[in-house]
Amino acid sequence: MDRECVSALPRVCEVLAASGGSLPDDTSLEKLLDWFTELSEAGVSLLEACPCLLGFVSAVVSNDAASEPSVLSFTLKLTGLLAASEDGFKVLQDSVLDRVFDFRHWQAAGLWEDPCIRIGWIQGLRTMLQHSQALDFFVQADFTEPLLQLQTDTSLFVASAASQTLAHVLLLCQSVPSPEGRHRETIPVETDGKYSAVVAGFCDYLKKSLVPKEASQLHGSQQVLKLLAKLLTRAGPPLRDRLLLTVSDPLEELVTTNYSQLTLPLMDVILAAHSCGGGERVARLLSVMLSARNPADLVHAAAAFLRSSHPDPDNRARSAGVLLLPLDVITGLALLGADSSADQHRSSVMEQLRRKTSCVSMICISLTNVPQVTSTAPDCLPCSPAEIVSAVLSVLRLCSGDSPSSSPGCAEVLRNVTGSGRVQKCALDALSALSSSSGVKVLLVEVFTLLIQYLNSPASDPSVIQKSYQVLVKWVDVCADLSDVTEQLREDLVQVVRKRVCDVRWEVRDSTVEFLGHLAAAPASLASDKEKARNALECLPGGRCATVPLLQEALQDPEGYVRASSVSALALTLAPSWQQGAAPPQQEAEIVTRLLEILSQDTQGFSRRAVIRFFVAWISSCSSPSSCSLLTQSIPSILSRGSADLDWEVKVHTLELAELLLDRASESRRHPYAVTPDRTSTHARAVESDPVSMLNSLVDQGVFSALLSGLVDCDRPVGLKACQLLIRLRDTVCPLLLGDQDVSDALVSGSRASCELPGCGWAREVRRILGTATAPRNVHGADGLGPEDRGEEEEEEPAVRVGVCDALRRLRLDERLAVLAQSSDHVHNSPLSLLQDILTVSRTKTHLDSQLGQEVIVDCY
Amino acid sequence: MPEIKVTPLGAGQDVGRSCILVSIGGKNIMLDCGMHMGYNDDRRFPDFSYIIQNARLTDFLDCVIISHFHLDHCGALPYMSEMVGYDGPIYMTHPTKAICPILLEDFRKITVDKKGETNFFTSQMIKDCMKKVIPLNLHQTVQVDDELEIKAYYAGHVLGAAMVHIKVGSESVVYTGDYNMTPDRHLGAAWIDKCRPDILISESTYATTIRDSKRCRERDFLKKVHESIERGGKVLIPVFALGRAQELCILLETFWERMNLKAPIYFSTGLTEKANHYYKLFITWTNQKIRKTFVQRNMFEFKHIKAFDRSYADNPGPMVVFATPGMLHAGQSLQIFKKWAGNEKNMVIMPGYCVQGTIGHKILNGQRKLEMEGRATLDVKLQVEYMSFSAHADAKGIMQLIRMAEPRNMLLVHGEAVKMEFLKGKIEQEFSIDCYMPANGETTTVTTNPSVPVDMSLSLLKREMALGGPLPDPKKPRTMHGTLIMKENSLKLVSSEQALKELGLNEHQLRFTCRVQLQDPHSDADTLHRIYTHLKNVLKGYTIQHLPDSTVMVESIVIKVSSSAEDSNTKVLLLSWSYQDEDLGSYLSSLLKKGLPPGLC
Repeated sequence: MDRECVSALPRVCEVLAASGGSLPDDTSLEKLLDWFTELSEAGVSLLEACPCLLGFVSAVVSNDAASEPSVLSFTLKLTGLLAASEDGFKVLQDSVLDRVFDFRHWQAAGLWEDPCIRIGWIQGLRTMLQHSQALDFFVQADFTEPLLQLQTDTSLFVASAASQTLAHVLLLCQSVPSPEGRHRETIPVETDGKYSAVVAGFCDYLKKSLVPKEASQLHGSQQVLKLLAKLLTRAGPPLRDRLLLTVSDPLEELVTTNYSQLTLPLMDVILAAHSCGGGERVARLLSVMLSARNPADLVHAAAAFLRSSHPDPDNRARSAGVLLLPLDVITGLALLGADSSADQHRSSVMEQLRRKTSCVSMICISLTNVPQVTSTAPDCLPCSPAEIVSAVLSVLRLCSGDSPSSSPGCAEVLRNVTGSGRVQKCALDALSALSSSSGVKVLLVEVFTLLIQYLNSPASDPSVIQKSYQVLVKWVDVCADLSDVTEQLREDLVQVVRKRVCDVRWEVRDSTVEFLGHLAAAPASLASDKEKARNALECLPGGRCATVPLLQEALQDPEGYVRASSVSALALTLAPSWQQGAAPPQQEAEIVTRLLEILSQDTQGFSRRAVIRFFVAWISSCSSPSSCSLLTQSIPSILSRGSADLDWEVKVHTLELAELLLDRASESRRHPYAVTPDRTSTHARAVESDPVSMLNSLVDQGVFSALLSGLVDCDRPVGLKACQLLIRLRDTVCPLLLGDQDVSDALVSGSRASCELPGCGWAREVRRILGTATAPRNVHGADGLGPEDRGEEEEEEPAVRVGVCDALRRLRLDERLAVLAQSSDHVHNSPLSLLQDILTVSRTKTHLDSQLGQEVIVDCY
Repeated sequence: MPEIKVTPLGAGQDVGRSCILVSIGGKNIMLDCGMHMGYNDDRRFPDFSYIIQNARLTDFLDCVIISHFHLDHCGALPYMSEMVGYDGPIYMTHPTKAICPILLEDFRKITVDKKGETNFFTSQMIKDCMKKVIPLNLHQTVQVDDELEIKAYYAGHVLGAAMVHIKVGSESVVYTGDYNMTPDRHLGAAWIDKCRPDILISESTYATTIRDSKRCRERDFLKKVHESIERGGKVLIPVFALGRAQELCILLETFWERMNLKAPIYFSTGLTEKANHYYKLFITWTNQKIRKTFVQRNMFEFKHIKAFDRSYADNPGPMVVFATPGMLHAGQSLQIFKKWAGNEKNMVIMPGYCVQGTIGHKILNGQRKLEMEGRATLDVKLQVEYMSFSAHADAKGIMQLIRMAEPRNMLLVHGEAVKMEFLKGKIEQEFSIDCYMPANGETTTVTTNPSVPVDMSLSLLKREMALGGPLPDPKKPRTMHGTLIMKENSLKLVSSEQALKELGLNEHQLRFTCRVQLQDPHSDADTLHRIYTHLKNVLKGYTIQHLPDSTVMVESIVIKVSSSAEDSNTKVLLLSWSYQDEDLGSYLSSLLKKGLPPGLC
């Protein structure tokens, strides 16, 4: 532990113990506790390292009336942490432990009403319960009762903490060390009377409270069920068997009483019991849950069963039937076959579907769980995945009002789903998930047709359109061979894309442009033309030539997001042509010009970031400088604009571009005999033969300037990246210069590889570090005004030239890297910073109280 | 009884991470989805697992409503929609939808910059989240589904901030978000209908404060900046990208113009243009003065405020720089601060709150030696000033809003517990309504007594009026008689005749009958006459008739006599009456069961 922290801590304890008013920042105490927990986990004995803590706890609890509830709560949690070690426990047991955890005292003092005190008490106990002495203390004090009561607390946080602590206690009692336990000892299995009393007490409580006597007790039952599920999942056989024996009757009663709110927690308990070999009785309860409840509860129970991935073929088949029934009813497609057990619920499902809220909810649950249904073994399924896809497609048709259901008496049900965005989104998600099911590819055309209809529909909202595109891409991805999709359909798709790329809603335009990018990245082919088509975009009529103009148009979109998406989509669309050879010169020129415009003028960072990424991708694919000459010529502009950007991510991407150029240069240099596509390139020959030329080339391209400007940037990631690259350059190239030639030659060569540092902007800062800055001028004239006051323009210092290697050695890069690598965040997270903040806040408050200054009010940000 | 439940997951007795769950009429609505800047781990976002358990958030929530673009109200939205997986509707006003992604991007960049965090939402996630947002117009009722409707009201505070009225059937809740009841330089004051919600959920940042006039604060601000400039110092104003920065820019621009000052004012990170764009785009959301003068001169096109370049920080001479971020915890504002901190002529003005751990927090609390990266110590010699320009309603403003909306219950969020407690007392005393202040995670349940509106036909009303009694008074309950019919989801009280007509039904009469046996050795006709005489004697004031068809009628009650087949002395009386005379019919049957008195003729 830091020496400065050790010396500051007693004062912090004093301040906290004496604080009558609230701390101005509600996070300080939690962070302080985090620090103590970290120390304790690192094996530090807190009471030895910080003896003041014991005094602090005593002071706070003995003066609780004057203490702030948040400080009291912190003290309760801290006490638990201190007592989590056996040594700490002994020390506290002799002094304050009884008083700290005496909840009756807190109740009598009227402090128990504050949920933060209850939370503190529970969490303190939970932290402390790591060893048998603590458990003895818990048992003797009979804390089970209050914890059981707190399970139904009005505060969700208190209730949840109480439930977790109860589970922890019971698991501790049965001697199985919890998997997350650290220094935890195993308590002997032959749990004596004192521990078994806790279990017995809990079992009594279970018997009494599991079945609600009236509606107001439902919440209590729900909480008990949650705790029970937790315990059954984690408990070892003795406790588990005991619990099962205790709850089997009440569970049976609950299963038959049909409390809808209890369906899910009850199902969790039954599944947990079933998984751990709950026997025939539990199996029977499970089958009742999956067959004899009202349809709304039944779908929940079936979904829970399928989610549990339990390999029980009968129940999986039954659950699949339950979940498919609403789809069967609404679409009129016979998904269940003739003799399904779920069929008995047909009329009640129909009844539920007639009511709007339950209809939408039930259909959505069915659709959401379709992937689980299809993951069931085919022989357990009443129908094939292809039939399920057909049903989902039918639901989508019903939603858009395009087709009447073939199901009899469905008019009211149809009204409920027509136009429902929620059902549409669920169905589209289901369709997406089903794309990889076996035997569904035959429906590709049908899927295409419907999705194009959705994309075309004026009623589709932007998120439905976005999902439709995503589903389309997914199906294309999975099917890859688009031969079955007719020319007409592909033409229709192009038409709808043309229409949607001009939609008034930017969300739709963006999804459309993103879709084109995804198509360009999705491998696909047509049987008729397998050689030619390599991605889905090229399978569309007109292929790339039809979509590039659309994307170029979208580069002018008023919405930044759309511009950014079109830049990315363009990169994906043009990538194959970059790999094959140069793009048509006219197109290349237009694109480069427009992208440079975006880079220098666009107000949105997203678009500018996308532009740099575009160039990085292009340059990576560019096989030789001559094959994309215009791009190569543009590199200095890209680097200078990118490194002067206001967005640090643009600058980081610019540095990635610089890194790529650096890699290219060093690869060529390192492998002088490597076969490069263009051996006549003067650039390649130059760097192979001469590192100085390579450095000069990097300087000419603007790589070196970009790195230097990044080095002095105010944003840490930029500085860090630039520093790393400069170190790499220094360590790889400069020693070579020294090693390959004699020193004097190297100095001459080094000075030949030089760059110019102008007298303004980032260069001024670099010059200051290098010590090449001109002497400070007398900036204030006789009138006492600076140049700005006199309306003068900023005076620029004359440019200077510096040797590259010389500069790299003098920039103190290693020192800088150490600072930058630390991250500016260490200031905010360091314990010393926290302790100092608590101390200064307290001083400020005292000062304010005495002098009436302006109070810093926690408002908003 | 129906209930409304309110559970803050954030903003319950604290500020930061506003996130309030409201359950009303079977609908679950999430109000705001903010983050807490004071934490660097999972605790910065609300923990949704408490409310959904193992279910999907999309299945649980009916919608999410974001009140405004501040990060403590929207910072967790991409986390919720793209990482937790909420796929349902999200509502916010048009300006909030436009500005929100900028703030979220800034926040993401600062977070990733500071910690190099990778487990954080990405730019793509912010975009995908914003694509799910449905924009709201002021005063336009939006139907979320068949039962749930929402309506936005102007809240002041920042561009696009809105209060929202949520209604399910006859139950309703108003959530204020952050609001301001007094207009400032660029925004107007909050306003709402007298909508009488069951609960008004109000922020309470300045629960115990009556703020001095904004003019005084502005004067102080300008005085301090001017003094510093006059002595050749540099002034740094750390701000967040959009919001109070623009207000302060207008203030300085006007002052520079008036005083003919020459020292440059800079605004970092190119946000001036962006801010301009949004203020122009949403001019209708600004205050009246700006809207009026917009045609002649756009207040957001500044003559004196120029874009900042990082090298200007080293320029000699005085200057004023607005730089982000506002808490001096990273980026440009921190870099400038480090450069200028050593000179006592310089000044930093903190116009808002800074969370623990930031340099802003440290210097506001008087720390003068700061440990920076690499254990270097920075001596803070420059002057540090705190001037809150945040636009929140003060205690007076909150009371004013209560008077405006006339809620049945009040619930305070977004404030400190001690201050809330004080305001709660004031509200309960002045308005005689219950006021709640749940802590985070605590559920407040309010029982509602929904009054079901019923239309009444004019003819029925006239008929009731004709019966006399006082004229109808909306404040005094009065019993009305009629037939309640439900048609097209609305209730109507009409006369029974009209009900029959409207519903196309035939009228049926319901009669009760009973048989009474009587020992009477007379003929049937005599017995009937004896009954007539007996009833005449007993029932004074009733219409009793002996009709030629061998019946006696008392009001609507018909009495007939027949002899028993077995014994002619045993008479069977048949009584029949309509439901209006049920009491009388019962009385007669029991009277006749006792037999006829002797001596009747």
